[in-house]
Amino acid sequence: MALTSKRRTASVVVVAGTALALALTGCSKSADDSGGSSPTGGAAGNSAAAQQVQSTGSSGDSCTYTTYGADKIDLKNVTVGFSQSESTSNPFRATETQSITDEAKAQGIKLIQRNANANVQQQNTDIQDMIAQGAKVLIVAPENSDGLAPAFAQAKAKKIPILTIDRTVNGSACSDFIGFIGSDFAGQAKIAAQDMAKALPDGGNIAILQGTSGNNVAEARTDGFTKEIAASSPNLKVVASQTANFDQATGQKVMEQILQSNPDIKGVYAENDTMALGAIQAIKAAGKTPGKDIQVIGIDGTEDAVKDVAAGVMFSDVETNPRFGPLAFQALTDFYSDKGTPTNIIIADHHFTKDNAQEALDNGDVY
Amino acid sequence: MSTLSPTSAAGPDPAVNVDVTGETRLERITGIAQQQGGLVSLVIVFVAACAFSDGFADWGNFQSILVGNAYTSLLALGMTFVILTGGIDLSVGSMFALGGVLAAWGAGHGGVLVAILLPLVVAALFGLLQGTLIAKARLAPFIVTLAGMLFARGLLQAISAEGTDTYLVPKGSAFLWLGDGTWRPILTAVILFVLGGILLMRTRFGQALFAIGGSENAALLMGLPVARTKVLVYVLSATIAGAAGMLNASRLQSGVTNIGVGYELTAIAAVIIGGTLLTGGAGSILGTAAGVLLLAVIQNLIGVHLSQYGSSASDLANGLFLAVVVLIQTTLTRVRRLP
Repeated sequence: MALTSKRRTASVVVVAGTALALALTGCSKSADDSGGSSPTGGAAGNSAAAQQVQSTGSSGDSCTYTTYGADKIDLKNVTVGFSQSESTSNPFRATETQSITDEAKAQGIKLIQRNANANVQQQNTDIQDMIAQGAKVLIVAPENSDGLAPAFAQAKAKKIPILTIDRTVNGSACSDFIGFIGSDFAGQAKIAAQDMAKALPDGGNIAILQGTSGNNVAEARTDGFTKEIAASSPNLKVVASQTANFDQATGQKVMEQILQSNPDIKGVYAENDTMALGAIQAIKAAGKTPGKDIQVIGIDGTEDAVKDVAAGVMFSDVETNPRFGPLAFQALTDFYSDKGTPTNIIIADHHFTKDNAQEALDNGDVY
Repeated sequence: MSTLSPTSAAGPDPAVNVDVTGETRLERITGIAQQQGGLVSLVIVFVAACAFSDGFADWGNFQSILVGNAYTSLLALGMTFVILTGGIDLSVGSMFALGGVLAAWGAGHGGVLVAILLPLVVAALFGLLQGTLIAKARLAPFIVTLAGMLFARGLLQAISAEGTDTYLVPKGSAFLWLGDGTWRPILTAVILFVLGGILLMRTRFGQALFAIGGSENAALLMGLPVARTKVLVYVLSATIAGAAGMLNASRLQSGVTNIGVGYELTAIAAVIIGGTLLTGGAGSILGTAAGVLLLAVIQNLIGVHLSQYGSSASDLANGLFLAVVVLIQTTLTRVRRLP
């Protein structure tokens, strides 16, 4: 009898522990491209904040349904599927999903959607589910550059075109997928590097907080930054470069460790805003003043970070515009016309500095 | 397995009357419901989904559910053996990821044989170490496998440059045959589940698991090789997890580094929903299969109906469902185990 009640207690403890652990994983899964606080989908409809095309690669590589080998369809008569990679608790993801949903509604297109919550396995299933559910065209925000092969192969076998947004997948445009719409990640990093040079005219030691590995975004943001620093700012020295998984708590922890081993750090480049916010916490905890003792530069243009730029806590912030709806549906419309869509549409991102941050906040251009 | 007979009628619940055989009718019924509760729930949810959810009863949709969960279901298979002994294995999610990375690396650097054997050998050794610490050094399984989870993830990060190098399986590699198509993954999972069922019900090893989970001391007194069996069960679990990761790498055609986070919890949930007692001693492979499918169907339904309302709605529904199932499970168990 004693054994039984002991067992029961043990079972309750394990069940409670498992539930807690489930909840914790749920939270930590929201770790990507942005983060912070309130999801503000409202900015999705702001016309001043809309995505603008910066470049579309060479003019020759346009893709139509005929070159792709898909059947001609009218978007208004079919179901379009949207596969979101990560939790909408992240403002970037919330705004992106909202923008796609709004645009589909505005154009009278039937949209079904799934969210893989940062799980590649789940995203494969999501895409296959939507195909089973009757989606004839797909918009996919890939979780990973590799690992979506089964879903993409099935779509290809069923002649269902896929448009990828915000991250690339490995494969051939206009064959494995239609093409890509997203930011110039290396370009963003280059702007951040130039800002760092401006912030630290006398040079000094700097640190990099890298994003989640295994996708093109973090890689391009690291390469773009280090190349620009090496090329044009010889007086800046990268003394620490560690991954903090695009996550705020991890960003804070990694920054604390960096500050302990390198107390003379003068600047921090965070590959997204969430990590920048974490780094700011760590800098404050170390008794230093961000914006004065240590300059912080981030990427994404989330509301919290832009507020910090306006307040002088952060030096600058490069935007990653998540309002993909209008451009994505335009690309699909062009794909089903004789005109075709470019296979590599690079959007122009805003650049928030102390001069324009407050104005952008007042206009509601940030998300 | 029959260590559950009540010792006294003076339990807190007077509704339970113990007869001379030591089992009441209520206990028998709840016993069956608890053993096959997962299967019963699966049938109910499945029928309801076919009736009320548009597009659920579609062959393509069934295929998608089955193939999408084929390899992750294997983690639950291995977990069933571990939980039957009263243990737990938190390292299987990391081992799944590590197995995939090792397989993809092997396919690129050594060929098919290396791709298949390397993850299996590493996983088996890993399980051997964990099992020895648990069975011989008598450390708590929760802690040992938690450490194992971190260690395996660390090892993965170390061989993939902090996760930035994704090894690709070379195009045209024979290794890709394993996980190709829809039916091969599903059949592989079915075959392994059947083999698992045979291992559990028809072998000395399987029966020893029940005995150890029921009462480790009694199993020792009966002269069963308790320590050896426990070591083997962790070797089995780790090897199955490594194999699942290896097969998955063949399907994904690459060793994705950020995969597998939290998979151990889904596996544990499937095993528990399938009627295996977390304290060990009772459970079945059929139940685990039902648990896996039940979670997969629920996930599918949440995807269809709740994705449009955002991640919070999906998470809430998921959590709510799990809580309800565990509540029912616990209630059934309590009735069965009185006093």
